[in-house]
Parts: sequence; C-alpha cells; structure tokens
Amino acid sequence: MITDRRPRFARLVSWGLITSAAAALALIPLPTVHTAPRHVTLRVEAAQFAFAPSELSVNAGDTVTLELVSTDVVHGLYVDQYDLGVEADPGQTSRLTFVADKPGSFRIRCNVACGQYHPFMIGRLTVGTPIAFWRAAGLALLALAAILLGAVRPAREAPA
Amino acid sequence: MRLREHAARLAILIVVAAAALIPLAAWLRTPLVHARMAESGGWGPDVLHARAGVPLLVRLTSDDVVHGFAVGQSDAPPVDVLPGKVSQTWVEFDQPGTYTFYCTRWCGPNHWRMRGVIEVEGSETAHAVPASPPLFQVLGIDLDLPHPAAATPSAHPDAQRGRALAGRLEKPIDLNLDEYRAQSPAAVWQKWRTDRGLAGLSDQDLWDLVAYTYASQINTADRSEAAQLYAANCAACHGQRGDGQGVFADALTQNNLDMGGTSDMSPATGPVRPVDFTDPASMLGASPALLHGKILRGGMGTGMPMWGAILTDPQIWNLAAFLYTFQFDEEPVS
Amino acid sequence: MKTRSMVLRTRGMNLLKKRGWQVALSTVMLAGLAFTAVAGWVGTPIGSRNFAIAFVWIGWFAALIILLIPIFGRGWCSICPIPMVGDWVQRGAVLEPQGRPPRGLGLRVPSLLRNMWTQNAAFALLALFSASILTSPRITAAALVGMFVLATGLSLVFENRAFCRYVCPMGGFIGLYSQVAPIELRVAAREKCTACQTKDCYNGSASGYGCPWGVFPTSLTRNNYCGLCLECLRTCPNDNLAIRVRPVAADLYVPSTRSDEAFKSLIMLGSAMVYAAVLLGPWTAFKFAAFGIGSLAWLVNAAVFLVLVLGLLPGSLWLVGRLSQRLTPSAEGTQANPSARGRSPFAAFATPLVPLGLAFWAAFSLTFFLTNGSYVLSSISDPLGLGWNLIGTAGVGWQPILAGAIAPLQTAVLVGGFIWAAGVARRVTERLQLPSLPLIGFLFLPTVVMLWLLL
Repeated sequence: MITDRRPRFARLVSWGLITSAAAALALIPLPTVHTAPRHVTLRVEAAQFAFAPSELSVNAGDTVTLELVSTDVVHGLYVDQYDLGVEADPGQTSRLTFVADKPGSFRIRCNVACGQYHPFMIGRLTVGTPIAFWRAAGLALLALAAILLGAVRPAREAPA
Repeated sequence: MRLREHAARLAILIVVAAAALIPLAAWLRTPLVHARMAESGGWGPDVLHARAGVPLLVRLTSDDVVHGFAVGQSDAPPVDVLPGKVSQTWVEFDQPGTYTFYCTRWCGPNHWRMRGVIEVEGSETAHAVPASPPLFQVLGIDLDLPHPAAATPSAHPDAQRGRALAGRLEKPIDLNLDEYRAQSPAAVWQKWRTDRGLAGLSDQDLWDLVAYTYASQINTADRSEAAQLYAANCAACHGQRGDGQGVFADALTQNNLDMGGTSDMSPATGPVRPVDFTDPASMLGASPALLHGKILRGGMGTGMPMWGAILTDPQIWNLAAFLYTFQFDEEPVS
Repeated sequence: MKTRSMVLRTRGMNLLKKRGWQVALSTVMLAGLAFTAVAGWVGTPIGSRNFAIAFVWIGWFAALIILLIPIFGRGWCSICPIPMVGDWVQRGAVLEPQGRPPRGLGLRVPSLLRNMWTQNAAFALLALFSASILTSPRITAAALVGMFVLATGLSLVFENRAFCRYVCPMGGFIGLYSQVAPIELRVAAREKCTACQTKDCYNGSASGYGCPWGVFPTSLTRNNYCGLCLECLRTCPNDNLAIRVRPVAADLYVPSTRSDEAFKSLIMLGSAMVYAAVLLGPWTAFKFAAFGIGSLAWLVNAAVFLVLVLGLLPGSLWLVGRLSQRLTPSAEGTQANPSARGRSPFAAFATPLVPLGLAFWAAFSLTFFLTNGSYVLSSISDPLGLGWNLIGTAGVGWQPILAGAIAPLQTAVLVGGFIWAAGVARRVTERLQLPSLPLIGFLFLPTVVMLWLLL
C-alpha cells in the first residue's frame, strides 16, 4: 500500500532516522525530576459508582497512603499496573500504603462488585507525569512529521 | 432429500431447545436465598423453615452488592454473600422457635432492615422460656426521655490516673454490678462527691476514679470483641470516633423518612441524627441500663435498629460498657 | 496496480460450497443465542458473573473487532443465527431449495430506506443506552431476542434479509470495516457473467437461493454489503464466484462516494471517543449522566453525543474538504480539477476513517478485554451464577491480564492506525488532486485525543 520510490540511500537514511527517533521516544527514560519524596495521605470516598476525588496525583517516589472510606456499600480500590488493592466496609476506613515508584497515569477502579455500573467505577492516579501518553503522542507526532515531510511516499497509481 | 431436510430441521430444533431448556430447568431446580439491598426487597425469601435438630443447608447469592448472612445470637461465624457467587452454610437449631437472620456487611443506610426469620418446628411443644424483662424496664427508665448529666468534667477523665488514685485510697472504692448498671456516671460521681472519705479529691480526680471504675467493669477480651462489634455494626452511623458523624449520618435522616419511618417518637426537634457518644452532657447522664435498653429495643422509628434478636445479652452489656470509652481515656484494665 | 489475488484451491472451494458445515455452525450459534438469552434473563443480575455479559460484550465483541472483522471481514454474518429462522420461513427449507415458492409477503424495502441511515440511527440510539446494555444481563438478553424477533418478522414482510442489510446495528460497522479484510468474494471472469442468461447468483436455482443480501454478485467491488452467505458460490452455473485473498484494505483504494457510509464512520469514530471518555475516564459527572437514563443529565448527555457524532464531526470533515479545495494551488489547478470545484469531497474524505475508526475500537476493546477477560473464564464454569463449576474456573477471581502491555499495545494500534489512515488519505487526495494536509490533520487530532483518553 505504501511503497517508496526514492534512491536506496535516501530511503535508508530516512528510515534509519525515523526508527531511531521512534525507539528513543518509546524507550528512553525521562530525566528524573528530583522532588523530595514525601509521605502523602489521600482520603478517597467511594460511593456507587464513583470515587471522590476521582483524580489523584502524587510525585514519583512518594510513599502514598490511600484511605478508602466507603459511604454506601462495600467498595474496593485497585490501582492498575501496581496491582494493589484494598476494600472497605462503610464505617471502617481501610488503608493502602505503597511507594509510587512507577511514574505515569494509572486507572484506579473498584474491585468489589458494588452494583450495576461497578465496571465503570474508575478514577485516575497520576504519579509524576503521564509518561505513556507523552511517549505515544510523541510517536504520533513523529509519524505525522514523517508522512507530511514526504519521508514515505505511497504508490502513485491506484490499482485497476 | 426430503429426509435430510427433515432430519436437519429436527436437529436444529432439538439443539436449540436443549440450549434453552437445560439452563432453565437447572435454574428452576436451584433454590437460592437471594440477598438484595433493603430498598430492593431485602432477603428473598425472607422466611426459611427448619426442623429442630435437623441441619438446614442455606445457599445464598447476592443480586447487587456485598452482603453477609448470620443468625442472631448464634456462635456460628457469618458467611459472606457475594454478588453473582454462591456461598452456603449449615444452620441447626436445638429448640423450636423463631430465629432472626440478618445481613452482616453494610449495604446501604437500610442495611439493618435486611432481616429475615427462620421458623423452626419441633416434635415436642416448645417450652416457652419466659424472658426476664430487661433491666431498664425493671428500673422504670424511659428510654426516650433526654438524660442530661447533672455534672460534667472539665477535661477528659483518665482511667490510668484513676487507677493510680484508687491504689492510694484508704478505703477502696466499690461499685457492684447492679449499682454500675443502674446509675449513670454523673450520678456515681455525684454520690462520691458527697462521700466524706473522698472529700480531699478534686472534681477532676473524682472523674478519673469514675473512669477507672467503668474501665474495670469489662475485661480486655470483651472490650476487644465489643470494639469489633462497634466497628462492624455501629461505626457506619455513629462514626469511627463515636461522634455521630458516620458515613450514613447525613443520609439517615432523609432516608428514614423515605423508608416510611416516623419522627413521632422523638422529641419535638424532629428526625434524630445518630447519637454523638463524645458529648459528655448527655453521655455521662446515661446509665448502662439505658444504653443496654436502647441497643436492645432500638430507636422506635429514628433509624436506630433493635438489636435484641441479633446480639446476645452479654454482647449488648459489653457494647454499652465500650461506649463509655468515647468519654473516658481508657487503657484496657484487665 | 493490479489487485493481486489468489483463488483458494479447488478443494477449499468445494468445501465452502457444501451447506452442512454452515448450517451446523449457525445452529451452534443459534443454540448459543438461546442459551445466552436464558442465562441473561434468569441468571444472576450481576453482569460480571453472567455468561450473557461476559461472553457477548467482553468475549465476542472483542473477538469481532480485533480478530473476526480484520481477518474475515463479514465472516461473522455467514454464521450469524439472527436471520436463521426468518430464512427458514421464507425459503421453506433449512438446507437446499425444496422447490417451494418463497413464503412471506416478499415486499421490496422502500427505496427511501435502502441505505445505511436506519442502521446509523439504530447504532446512535443504542449508544445512548450503552452503560445499561453493557452491564445488565436482562437488557442484553432482551436485545438479542428483540433483534431475533425483529429479523424474523421483517423476513415475513420483506424479501431477503431486510434486517441484516438495513437494520442490524452490528451489521452497520461490520460491513464498513470489512473493507480492510484480506479476503473478498468476487467474480473471477466478468465475460462469463455477461454471457450468462439466467443470473442464478441473483435469482437462485435448484442448487441454492438468490442473494439474500440483495446484492448483484457480478458487480461486487467492495465487501460492505456481501454477507458471505456463499449462496452465489453454490448457484453460479459457471463456477465463476470465489473467495479470494487480496491485499489488506484493497476496497479503500477507491474512495467512498456515499454519505451514509461517511456518517457511519464518523459515528463510530465519535462513539469510540465518547465511550473511552465516559466509561473508562475518571469524570464522574459524565458517568452519572450516562447511567441516569431518563434524567435531565442523561438528556443533556444524549444531546451532546448526537450533536458530536451527527453535527460536529461531520461538519468538521466537510470543512476540511472545503479547506482542501481552497488550498488547491492556482486557478488553472482549479479549472483542471473537478474535485476542486464542486461540492466538498465529504464522502471521499471519510474513507480514511475506516482504518482509523477500526483502530480506535480495537484499542478500546483491548482495554476491556485485557482488564476484564477473566470474567469470560469464570462465566464458562458458572454461566447463570447458580454456583456451578463446569470446567473448574468458577473460582477465578477478577484479574487483569497483561496489564503492563496494554499501554504499548494501544499505542501501537492507535499510531499504527493513524499511519494507515494517513496512507489512505494520501491515496484519496492524490486521486482527487487535492492537498492532503488538512485531511491528515483531521485524522491526527482525534488520534491524540484517543491516546490521551485511553493511556
């Protein structure tokens, strides 16, 4: 579908540049921002079917304690990719303490069936900067640039 | 040709009918007790039948949120009833009668209304054991009247200080069980204030003695169990710190009216919020008998459940004793 | 460039011409539908523990978007059970024709409705109720049975598979995205068709039925409306029809010309973003608006959604087309190029939304499937939530799979989808001799938005 008709050398150079740029965007770790790690306690209330607050943010390296306060039925709080969770009955606050060593943006979700819309009881915990998004946006931008600058050219004729 | 066609049609009909009828039949033959929030109907069915001495298998599932199942005043541990999963427990009763089962995991402000009964039949006629009237009735205490404390301490009484003080007294303080149960802390304090043997002690010292005396009415194990009962059953309304600011405190008032409760029985102020156990003005004017009575009988339309069928008598007395810990800095005094 | 294609070997073709396997598979699917409906209706109301939700919305839907459509195009439609009973009644047979005249009123679908607009409306309306449909076993069961009854009823009134062709909300996007599949059903040699007098492919014969999709197989150039029912393979007296393998997305080489298809791709693009924002995002107000069906907030949510997919997105695409026309350099360019003058090349410019929308839906479904796929396992063992344990997996708790891989996979799918769509955009704009920058920009922005919503 996309074929390239430039001289071999030009093709090699441009593909080489694109691939290395893509690899860099995908893999190179961001420079660490040196904020002193803190002990942070965040109180999260859980009701059918949302967390309050639903968006949390801490610095990378912080020791985070999430206090889960259920205000109607038994709920849970689970952090995607950290694979950590805790559940709380109304009237009994539960705590989850962990070190936020993975930077990025992670969904927090209820992991105890709490009614019809339980699968959508989702919030967001941002540790430092949302790395995955920036990498992906960078890659998309790289793709856009490569396409617009004519680094790759599609076939001239449409098929019969 | 036509035979193949008919065979194909038959095969389709049989396969599809089986796919529909087999699960339907299985469902019809699986009796389950369904747990739902009280707003959605509560237990379904909410009346179970058993025979004395014959174990009954109860299979449970929840149709909405996490619930739990336990039989009132029973030693058997509660079993969680989880959404979409089936759990089971055996119940067995020696004596015929009517027993209460109830939900053990908070499932909304009407969690305490989620109760059902197990009717147990027996071969011999049940010997009705006449229940002795609860102490508050014997003493003639009106549970619904306000009970202001005639005297209140200027600071939080400290049971440890009280213990040290008690050790130095010439004549040991004595409060027997009946006296303890029948009198409020303020009344005890006032009685001791007029005791010439204690005239040398300051008001606050006397409160510390009261605190120590109350703390020693309950041992560590019972206090710990009472704390767990409080956390599981009371904290959601009365607050983990006993201040009446539990997660349901705000919703309770409106919810009580929504569920058809009345505010008639409460004083002219209208619907009542969960009691604040940290308020010395009323808490110290409440005797253990009054607290025991309130827990036993419930709040008569205020949203305070009646626990008589759920908790055993010793459990209720222990809970009442535990409630004073919100007033007195108590260390466990075994 | 000639389309490279390869006729499947004769043995394979003979296998496809036999009915038995197709009827057998469809019967299994129909049994599955019956079982799912019963499970959904009487089984536990907890979606995650009910076969109906786990299988339909987590298992089947993810398989459809990620595997079945990209590989087999409309392959699902060839074994879909929804039209089975309707066909049976119309044809008077489940296997080969029994020599009976077709039953039912056999009316032609009115020309006003012979397009995708009904399907577009059906999908957009269903999307407003999606929070409930996706989580309630009873509603899912009712939807399945409802579609089945509607399809059967329409078959009694109209000719052919009126439901499948013009109403089915699934069929709308299956057909649209089937254009990317590497397989197609086409005529081998056109000359034989010209010489053919009977046109059995369309009219039917003793060996099979005329095309139930109302398509004229001779003139098939795209996958959209061919449901791969394979009847024409069986009826053609010249053995002129075949399933062929072809380059991926070959159907998109020729830009689309239909505005109903354009709107469909815009609806799909918009709903993928809205679903990601409302269902997977942290914004409580949006969620509650979606849950509270009938409330004022829900009405506002519905209005915003409809304005977005039926107004804002199409309007933007139209403007992008206009912009491209304005940017065509020099007066002589405008003179020489009809596309630079007339109406905005709206439908043509919607063509790249096919791979982009598919990528959006695939990325979205990846999250759902990898996060909640464990429910599929447990629901096989205990489909009704009655406490069974058929294959021992009833105790499998909720556990996300490959959680660390989700972000890279979604990045690959979305960025890859954007690159693919940009390639299609390039081809379309070069054919129309219009600048490609506006269109590529139009593809880039939603891609970044979707990345932000999902990652």
